[in-house]
Amino acid sequence: MLRSDQILSTVEMIQKENLDVRTVTMGINLLDCRSGNLVDTCNNIENKIARFAGNFVAACNKMSKKYGIPVVNKRISVTPIAFVGAGFKKDDFIEIAKTLDRAATAVGVDILGGYSAQVEKGMTDTDREFIASIPEALAQTDKICASINIATTHKGINMDALAIMGHTIKELAEQTADQGGFAAAKFVVFCNQPGDNPFMAGAIHGVEEAEAVLNVGVSGPGVIARALERLIKKHPKPGSLKFDELAEEIKQTTFRVTRCGELIGRAVSKSLGIEFGVVDLSLAPTPTIGDSVGEIFKILGVDSVGAPGSTAILAMLNDAVKKGGIFASKTVGGLSGAFIPVMEDAVLAEAVGDGSLTLEKLEAMTCVCSVGLDMIAIPGSVDADTISAIIADEMALGVINSKTTAARLIPVPGKEVGDHVSFGGLFGASPIMPVNNIGKSSRFIAWGGRMPAPIHSFKN
Amino acid sequence: MKKQMIISVMSKDRPGIIASITGAIYQLGGDVADLNQTVLCGYLTMILNASFDEEVTKEDLRAAISHVKTECTFEVSIKEIQPGEQLEAAGPPKETYILTVQGPNKAGIVHGISLFCSEHNVNIFDLATTLQDDQYTMALQLDLQKCSCEIEELQHKLDAYSTANGLTVMIQHNDIFQVTNEITLH
Repeated sequence: MLRSDQILSTVEMIQKENLDVRTVTMGINLLDCRSGNLVDTCNNIENKIARFAGNFVAACNKMSKKYGIPVVNKRISVTPIAFVGAGFKKDDFIEIAKTLDRAATAVGVDILGGYSAQVEKGMTDTDREFIASIPEALAQTDKICASINIATTHKGINMDALAIMGHTIKELAEQTADQGGFAAAKFVVFCNQPGDNPFMAGAIHGVEEAEAVLNVGVSGPGVIARALERLIKKHPKPGSLKFDELAEEIKQTTFRVTRCGELIGRAVSKSLGIEFGVVDLSLAPTPTIGDSVGEIFKILGVDSVGAPGSTAILAMLNDAVKKGGIFASKTVGGLSGAFIPVMEDAVLAEAVGDGSLTLEKLEAMTCVCSVGLDMIAIPGSVDADTISAIIADEMALGVINSKTTAARLIPVPGKEVGDHVSFGGLFGASPIMPVNNIGKSSRFIAWGGRMPAPIHSFKN
Repeated sequence: MKKQMIISVMSKDRPGIIASITGAIYQLGGDVADLNQTVLCGYLTMILNASFDEEVTKEDLRAAISHVKTECTFEVSIKEIQPGEQLEAAGPPKETYILTVQGPNKAGIVHGISLFCSEHNVNIFDLATTLQDDQYTMALQLDLQKCSCEIEELQHKLDAYSTANGLTVMIQHNDIFQVTNEITLH
C-alpha cells in the first residue's frame, strides 16, 4: 500500500487545490464530408460529428465520476474548414458554421474549434471566401471558434493575409458591438499553429492527424500556486529557499498533475475506442480566484505582474512545466506552455488596470511562453492596420524563434482606455489596455506580399 | 501434492522474529509464499502463506514454532487451506479506492467508518491510522467490486456522513494515487 503521507499529499492536491482536467478535446477529420453540394456536405458533417462524439460527453462525465476529478471542458476540434469546403463561397461557409454549431450543441460539447484556414504562404480563392465569412459566421453562432495560420518558420509571414486580419478582427468586434465585441474573442491568428492543440480558440484537427483522436489539456495554475505557497511556508528563514528549488517544485507538481490528466484522457479514449493523441502541458488560467498564472508571478517574487523580472519568471515557469510534464506523459504536444490570456486571468487583468502590465511587456513575455498576445481588450478606435501590425510583431517572434505564437485582440467597440469589458464565464473581464503609436504602421501593412522565411528554416 | 497453511503470529517486537518463524517453517520443508508484517506500539504481527508436504500437520508446525528459543511469547494461529479452496491473488482488486478520513480525535471514528463500509458491502483490505496533535487520520484501501451502490451515490453518502460527524472524508480511485506517486516498471 502507498504510504499515508503520499496519500494525504495527493488528497490535498485534489481537494484543496482544485485539481482538474482542463479539457478533453476530440479531434475529428471532416475531409470525407465534402459532397457535390452544400446541403449534403452539411448533412455529412452533422452525421459524422454525431457518430464520433455522440457518447463523448457521457464518457468524460463517467470517468470524471469514477476518478473523482472533474473534466471542466468537453470540446471538439475539426479539420480546418477551408479545406473541407474547398470551392464553396462565403455564404456556403456561413451555413457550414451554423451546421457545426448545431452539431456541437447536439452532442453537448462546450465549444467547437476548427473554423480555420492555413494560409502561411498563399491564399487560394477558397481561403479568401472563407476568411470573408468569419465575421458573420462567428457573430451568428454560439460555440464556434475560428483561427487562421498566417505564418510559419518554414514559410515566413503571408503579409496579404496579415493585412486582412486587422479588418477581420475589427468587423468581428463591430458585428457583436452589443456584446462588447465578443466575437473577436473567438478568433485567433497563429504562427506555427499545432494540429493537436486541445485549447480554444485555436484548436484544429490537423490534416496530418488520424480519423479521430482525443487530446487532453491538464489542470490550471492553481495547483502550482498552492504547491509553491506550501514550499515557501516551510522555509520562513530568508535565504533558505533558492530559485532553483522553486523550479523543482513546479516540475514535480506538474509531473503529478500531468499523470492525472493522462490517466483520465486515456480512460476516456479507451471507453470510446478513439485513439489517444497528446497531453498539452499548458498552464491555462481561468477567471476564478486562485486559478491564475499572474498569481504565480507574485508568489515567485515580483509585486506586480509586468515588473522587471516578469519575463525571467515566465521563462522558468514555462520550462519547469515542460520538464515535469514531458516525462509524465507518453505523448506530449499541442501548445505546451504557460498561457497569459489577459481577460481570462483575474490577476493579469488587474495588472492592466493599474498600468503595471503593458502591451509591450506582454509582447516580450510571449517570447518565452505560449501562446502570445491573448485575450487583450484594446480601444475600439484602434485602426485595422495597427491591429495587423501588432499581429505582425507577434508572428515575427514565432517565425524567428521556431515556436507557436498567436494573437487574440478584441477592439471593444465604443470603449476607450479607462473603460472595462466583461464577457462572463471562462472568457473573463478586463480593463481596456492602452495601445501606443496608433496609426503609424499603415505603410508597412500596405506592402503585402510575404515576409521571407528566416535563414534557419533551410535545414535540408 | 502440497498443502497450504495461513499462519499468523503476534508477539512483542525484537530483532529476529521473522528469522525464527521462517526457520521453523524451513525445517519442516515448508516454502513461504506471501508474507506481510507490521509493527505497532512495539508489537509485531505477521501473516504468511506457506506450502508444506502432505504429511506435515498444523500441530507439527505449532510445535516447531513453540521450540523457538525466545524471551517473548508467540501467539500463533494456523489455518489449513482445504483442497479446492482458491486463494485470492495478491495485489489490489480492480475497483480499488482509497478513503481518507481526517478530524479531531474522538472515540468511535474507526468504528463509524468501518460500519459505514460494512453497511454498503465495501471490503476494507488495508487500513492505517495515525494520531498526531489530537488530529486523527485514517487511510483505507477499499474494494468496491461488491459495493451496494454506484460510486457517485457512495460519494454523496460519504459527504453526508462527513458533515454529520465533523470529519473530512474523501474517496478517490487508487489509480490516481498510483500515477501521482509511482513510476511503474512493466
